Amino acid sequence: MPVSPSEFMAVALARTVRDGEVVAQGVDSVLASLAILLARRTHAPSLTWITIAGGVDPTLSELPNSSVSPAWLAGTRAILSNPEFYRLAMRGGVDRMFLGAAQIDQRGRLNLTVIGDRDHPRIRLPGGGGAAVLAQVVRHIVVWRTRHTPEVFVPSVDFVTAQGNIEAVVTPLGMLGFEDGRLILRARFPGISLDEVAARTGFPIVPETAVPVIEPTEGELRILRDLDPGRKRDLEFPRGDTPVG
Amino acid sequence: MQAASLGIPFQPVRGLWGSDVAAASGFVTVRDPYSGEDVYVVPRIRPDWAVLHVHEVDEQGNARLHGSPGYDLVMAEAAVRVILTAERIISVEESAAHPEWTKIPGIFVAAAVAAPKGAYPCGCMPDYDVDPKGIHDYFQATGSEESLRDYLGRVDP
Repeated sequence: MPVSPSEFMAVALARTVRDGEVVAQGVDSVLASLAILLARRTHAPSLTWITIAGGVDPTLSELPNSSVSPAWLAGTRAILSNPEFYRLAMRGGVDRMFLGAAQIDQRGRLNLTVIGDRDHPRIRLPGGGGAAVLAQVVRHIVVWRTRHTPEVFVPSVDFVTAQGNIEAVVTPLGMLGFEDGRLILRARFPGISLDEVAARTGFPIVPETAVPVIEPTEGELRILRDLDPGRKRDLEFPRGDTPVG
Repeated sequence: MQAASLGIPFQPVRGLWGSDVAAASGFVTVRDPYSGEDVYVVPRIRPDWAVLHVHEVDEQGNARLHGSPGYDLVMAEAAVRVILTAERIISVEESAAHPEWTKIPGIFVAAAVAAPKGAYPCGCMPDYDVDPKGIHDYFQATGSEESLRDYLGRVDP
């Protein structure tokens, strides 16, 4: 079976997790949830996962269909309210969080608020939730986006919703990191050329140095497919986008 | 709302530095008089009413919530008055048998009403999940007052 962009992304997201960390994800984050489950089954068995529903370390017999799905409660021993989660984060109790963004710029600033003029926007987005706070109180922020285009990766975002401890950005093309405060391609997925990454990014992104390729292992793929037999991981990908692998 | 629940005018928060959210919302910083550290402060929101959906309520307004309480508990303390809608009505005796299960005390509550499936087409953990088709139907029905009334008649006959 060919490896899907969702599987490359889930593996790259999972590998950012270090064992023992307290990890959280935002709303409607199937891919991030899958990555946390994968990390727990591979190199980070003692991570603590606080889910979007406030549960702690659920066993999850299936990936939930919504952020309020009853499926989130399976196996969880406690439920945090939203204020309890934010208070924990503000006092430094959350190590890593996976966040999405509509626009991401060269300095790693995130826009989840408006596209276009802020007073007369072309698109009004749902807003940042707590991103403006979380991006600075959570130690490691990993951003993920299932579209990698010049409209998403812009030189400067239309509105800075959040900036701060952004460590990496994962897309269907690979993983971005920082060098001298600027986003740079750190690794790419098999079949992705440097020219393609450059053409699909609205600012200079390809480094002078060699860019390694992220190869999922057989074990990682087997676990992913076992965790998500219904392939909910593919739901967020536009059909025909980014054939890789 | 946390500030409103405490009866104080604003709440210091961490983060927000370099975010346009602060300027767009009119948030300013103050200097902590004890440590000298600058922090953003967010003005309180004190709603006249909070309308919250709970799992069980008795006739005195004592309410139980299962699943995630979200922001409900702080809203119940921040608002001037609280209305509860509930999946089920229980007796005061049931509340008295397990007062530790009451999450929103009835003394905070102005009114309560039975509303089974009251969160539909959204979810009410752990009783039921979001219904994507229901959300679609609701969205289609919001075009006019007539279609909205028709929709409400269909989901709550």
